[in-house]
Amino acid sequence: MNSIVQNSLVFLALVFAVWFLLRKFGVFPKLGKPNTKTCGNKDCGCN
Amino acid sequence: MPKHINVALIGNPNTGKTSVFNALTGLNQKVGNYPGITVEKKEGLCKLPRGVKAHIIDLPGTYSLNASSLDENVVIELLLNKNDKDYPDVAVVVSDVENLKRNLLLYTQIKDLQIPTILVINMSDRMAYKGIHLDIPYLEEQLQTKIALISTRKGKGIDQLKTLIANFKELPTTPCLNASEIDPEYFTRLKKAFPNQLVYKLWLVITQDVNFGKIDRNEVDALQSFKTKSKADLKRLQQKETIKRYQFINDTLKKGQTIDLKSAKDLRIKLDRILTHKVWGYLIFFAILLVLFQAIYDWTEVPMDFIDSTFASLSEWTKNVLPEGAFTNLLAEGIIPGLGGIVIFIPQIAFLFLIISILEESGYMSRVVFLMDRIMRRFGLSGKSVVPLISGTACAIPAIMATRNIESWKERLITILVTPFTTCSARLPVYLIIISLVIPQGRVLGLSYQALTLMLLYLIGFGTAIFSAWILNKVLKIKSKSFFVVEMPNYKLPLVKNVALTVLEKTKSFVFGAGKIILAISIVLWFLASYGPSDDFNNAEEIVTTSYASENISSEELQQKIASHKLEHSFIGITGRAIEPAIRPLGYDWKIGIAIVSSFAAREVFVGTLATIYSVGSDEEETIKNRMAGEVNPILGGPLFNFASGISLLLFYAFAMQCMSTLAIVKRETNSWKWPMLQLVIMSAFAYIVALIAYQLLI
Repeated sequence: MNSIVQNSLVFLALVFAVWFLLRKFGVFPKLGKPNTKTCGNKDCGCN
Repeated sequence: MPKHINVALIGNPNTGKTSVFNALTGLNQKVGNYPGITVEKKEGLCKLPRGVKAHIIDLPGTYSLNASSLDENVVIELLLNKNDKDYPDVAVVVSDVENLKRNLLLYTQIKDLQIPTILVINMSDRMAYKGIHLDIPYLEEQLQTKIALISTRKGKGIDQLKTLIANFKELPTTPCLNASEIDPEYFTRLKKAFPNQLVYKLWLVITQDVNFGKIDRNEVDALQSFKTKSKADLKRLQQKETIKRYQFINDTLKKGQTIDLKSAKDLRIKLDRILTHKVWGYLIFFAILLVLFQAIYDWTEVPMDFIDSTFASLSEWTKNVLPEGAFTNLLAEGIIPGLGGIVIFIPQIAFLFLIISILEESGYMSRVVFLMDRIMRRFGLSGKSVVPLISGTACAIPAIMATRNIESWKERLITILVTPFTTCSARLPVYLIIISLVIPQGRVLGLSYQALTLMLLYLIGFGTAIFSAWILNKVLKIKSKSFFVVEMPNYKLPLVKNVALTVLEKTKSFVFGAGKIILAISIVLWFLASYGPSDDFNNAEEIVTTSYASENISSEELQQKIASHKLEHSFIGITGRAIEPAIRPLGYDWKIGIAIVSSFAAREVFVGTLATIYSVGSDEEETIKNRMAGEVNPILGGPLFNFASGISLLLFYAFAMQCMSTLAIVKRETNSWKWPMLQLVIMSAFAYIVALIAYQLLI
């Protein structure tokens, strides 16, 4: 049981991480409002 | 009274527009005591009296409405286009009490567009110090407006400004200058041709080389056909307009402003004489850099070691407390060490930005820009390139965006191409960890070798940037010229709040921005390092136990051999060994190779990647630094991170274009993939060759 839960959590984390990286580097389009809380430039690519 | 109004903040560079913006909106946009901070419009909301909400737009600084660079175009495009959703109901022109005469030129131009305009005179706290007295009622009468005398440093006058904005309907829209006076005959014909248009607006449209994409094309086309005067004649008329405006401003200030030089207590001239001196100026700047880098090492070692050991203990604790399994391993061997690889550098990053922020706030950075202009010109760049190059020490992305205030396309392109050579904060973690591993801890003249190495790397980055600029200047056949006028702001005692906000914002952006990428990469790397496709991986225990059956090794050693065998036959091991032949001549093993590849997403990922790879399969509580120090070169024996491989790595990171976000921004700013691709290929090839030579010479 523990093993199934742990493996499922790893799988979910992996899917989320891959999705995040692909979206971050432009493979998937970003959804929602643009982030305006970084360097102040609303469409700056930093972070 | 409308419940929502648009308010445009306009003014000369370095008059404190962004400080006014922050005071009105409560936001924390970056401010600095040197020109060119704002190159795009920024927006925020402000609650005004009687429940009115103002949409505040902070526009890039401009000296006049005669645009010569991209950031100035932003201002003019907005003010000339009534259909723009951001077209202001009221313009707030921010001026600096010490440069009122020059600031009023822009004010009179905006007033003549018949937009309700408020004049803000900022930095009023310096009036007594400078012996300045203003007759506000007289100035209001002459300039036909309301004036807010404020000090954003002391937080004075902001409420009065809010009230004035809320009552903007009461502001007269009468122009300061009768535009027809510039050339009565020409303007009469213009008025006849376009009877429903404001003459001064038409005049600006005719005289500007602006991309009027947002303005009604039909209107512009009609104006194109009206261009009955040559370019030279139009320039002459523009000059005539400027002279007329200054005549009006001089007359106004003659009575409205008095300056008592006797009561002025000015240290500025004396300080400038030393800080911008052609010998002392450079020596002082060099000394400041030495102190900065020495302090980074001396004052941050204790918190750095504390964070490192805390993450090691946290990793161990996770393994002990949580039930055994894949997810526990992911946390203890992947996520925690990966995040530790970024959190460990918070003290250094915060300290670096603290010093830079104090230098900016005090007004010293403008003197550095002035000093660097002397060097820049010899390499075919103007001083305007210095601001991006210096901002590049934080991050290349806003620095590349800051090139928008360079008029000459050639200079702008060169600056964009060379800015990634300057040492950004993302390189700092790589430098710090490698330096601490391979450079001895001795001192010379009170300065540690490690601090000197770090400073040398910054100088190498800056030197390479300007040397590359010199080469590009010779190679690129683009004809255009630029000019450089630097605003020398007054020296100020840095405001604790501004400094603290800058440090907080920069550190937050470093940790959370890079942290998200590192977290995701750590998860992927851990997975790739913990699973493998072949029997060699799946039967690692059996294979290793059989092969070492005849040897008398401890169970601990046997476990290490099994972990090492598994790692080598995992997905990441197979990939790493495939790229190893390419990096072996540089003194790196496949694990460093994986770290280099993954740090293409962001340079900071390098340390986190190594921390994750070294943690997989390890049961010991070890810090990142100790794990790296303990790595053995599989071929030569001895430490993997030795002097030769360390210097090679430092030089590789000094020159390589390891940042996808920078490439994306270069593509956007140059509107072509050609330049970022050239940048990537040339910088990577150069980094590889230099790292190869360094390793082969030092080994």
